Amino acid sequence: MSALRRLRPDWLSPSAAAAFLVTIGLLHALPHVFQLSPYDHNQITLAFIFLAAALAWNWIGGFAGQVSFGHAAMFGVGGFVAARIAQAQLVPFWLTWLVGGVAAGAYGLAWGHPTLRLRGPYFSIATIGVGEATRLVATYWQGFTGGASGLALPIDAGLKHALYWYALYFLALVAIGSYAIRNSRVGLGLMSIKSDVEAAADVGVPVVFSQDLVLFLSSAVVGVAGGIYASYFSFIEPTDMFGFDRSISFVLMAVIGGVGTVFGPALGAVVFVLLRLYLIATYPHLYLGLYGALLVLVVLFEPLGISGLIFRVARRLRAQRSAT
Amino acid sequence: MARGLELLLSAILLAGLYATMAYGLGLIFGVLRIVNLNHGGMIMAGAYLGWWFHEHAKIDPYLSLPMVAAFSFGVGVIIYRGLVRHLPRGAAGGAQSLLLLFGVWLVLRNAAYFWFTGNEQVIRTEYSTTAVVILGSALSVNRLIVFAIAALLLVGLHLLLTRTYFGKAVRAVAQNADSCTLAGVHVEGIYTLTFGIGSALAGIAGLLLGTLFTFNPSFGGAELLKSFVIVVLGGLGSVPGTAIAALILAMVEVFAILVLPAYLTGAVGFVLLVLVLIFRPGGLFGHRVLG
Repeated sequence: MSALRRLRPDWLSPSAAAAFLVTIGLLHALPHVFQLSPYDHNQITLAFIFLAAALAWNWIGGFAGQVSFGHAAMFGVGGFVAARIAQAQLVPFWLTWLVGGVAAGAYGLAWGHPTLRLRGPYFSIATIGVGEATRLVATYWQGFTGGASGLALPIDAGLKHALYWYALYFLALVAIGSYAIRNSRVGLGLMSIKSDVEAAADVGVPVVFSQDLVLFLSSAVVGVAGGIYASYFSFIEPTDMFGFDRSISFVLMAVIGGVGTVFGPALGAVVFVLLRLYLIATYPHLYLGLYGALLVLVVLFEPLGISGLIFRVARRLRAQRSAT
Repeated sequence: MARGLELLLSAILLAGLYATMAYGLGLIFGVLRIVNLNHGGMIMAGAYLGWWFHEHAKIDPYLSLPMVAAFSFGVGVIIYRGLVRHLPRGAAGGAQSLLLLFGVWLVLRNAAYFWFTGNEQVIRTEYSTTAVVILGSALSVNRLIVFAIAALLLVGLHLLLTRTYFGKAVRAVAQNADSCTLAGVHVEGIYTLTFGIGSALAGIAGLLLGTLFTFNPSFGGAELLKSFVIVVLGGLGSVPGTAIAALILAMVEVFAILVLPAYLTGAVGFVLLVLVLIFRPGGLFGHRVLG
């Protein structure tokens, strides 16, 4: 028993771990049990990719409080590096995602190390600059990205179907990562950096190292998501991958779900993907404004988004139970 | 050499417009400590409003300027009274105000798509293509008028901030809002007016930009970033500082054409933004913008 306890970090509750495993198991079995239509199957795959990216955005944007409007840069770098390697057809595709992720992480570190000492709005504005500069260069760098006409990937029959499980287990890893970072020493350090950088540095939190590390991880995960996304569509082009709308989508998912909470961004991503599916079909002219309005409402009334609502309901239920 | 002179003149003309555009952002930031991410949205709205007046009411863009200014001022006041005022102040308000104003920008963009479609527009007048020759280089009349209006506005702002009671109150609130409350300055009123004036400047800049460049509902993003570069470089609350920073940005952009392929000149502003933030976050003149 004590050996088992030593294997399990003290912040990991057994019931949470069990619930997590059951959820992953159910999602794993879902396509087998329900005979999903190819359309639903693919939409869920895509949703997994975005859920993972939203969770990873939250590591830097939520835990560390450094809101990035430029994560599309890493999504694009990961996607295009993976696509280029996939075109050579020498390595298995999961390795292309991994290399794309490392490249994206390195890119994130390259611009992030100098800019992360900026705080608040300055960092955010700098990330807009990074994202837009990357997009412009990528759009005109024909040799690497294929320019405006984009890149086609070699098509692997059956891969698109199998991507469901790859994306699911990628998401599971990212979710575990979120939980671990939030509860680890680094994560606690990030929370203190978010509250007060100078005080955090004074009590010995490695401010530069923690932020660099978490931006690297966040960039790498978003890069892997970009790589899987590239495999999913077998065709990518810079405007879609690097566009400002892509960066915004990560911010929106996290904010709607709950910035800085562990799993909130995943909830936000689910809402985002569902809204997108229904809105684009029925009100294609209004979806951008609706996201904007949602952002305004969340910031004004429930800064923790959906997670905040859930916490509020849970508190009320608990209060009722103790009253009776 | 003649080409160099031509580029220099064109940079100076552009700088006037940039300074006006940036001053709106800098004013709001200096007084309220909020980066108005909706600045780009107001620039876009100003451009469309001027275009609408010109296309449908046949009003010359320079004559519709007061109306565009009044409208943008009103929108700014509504945004402040209705939304921004309810945010918590201080450090925690930083990311939230960014997200809030970003949401407003998205709504404005969507409204523009809805009413004006995503097509590229430009405000084209009969004198758009007229040029005069000054110092041996041909300059568009349009650019000269835009520069003149921008210069007048900047001088007017400078006088407003340095010579009036309102200006004194604005500068006092920027320094210490709490003391101002004690001294009987109506701080909320100053905030509201400042937000309105900042938005009006963005709207005017949008109208002027719209007579020079094409625009669509996504217009304003690059302009927001350029404004931010100028604000950081030039420091807060000083019209001369803003003007010099605007001139530097315009020169870098214009002269980049000589050394960079044309398609990369658009990235110059963004790269400059990141470099300025990293290496000169305190600005050129020591008025530290960073807290």
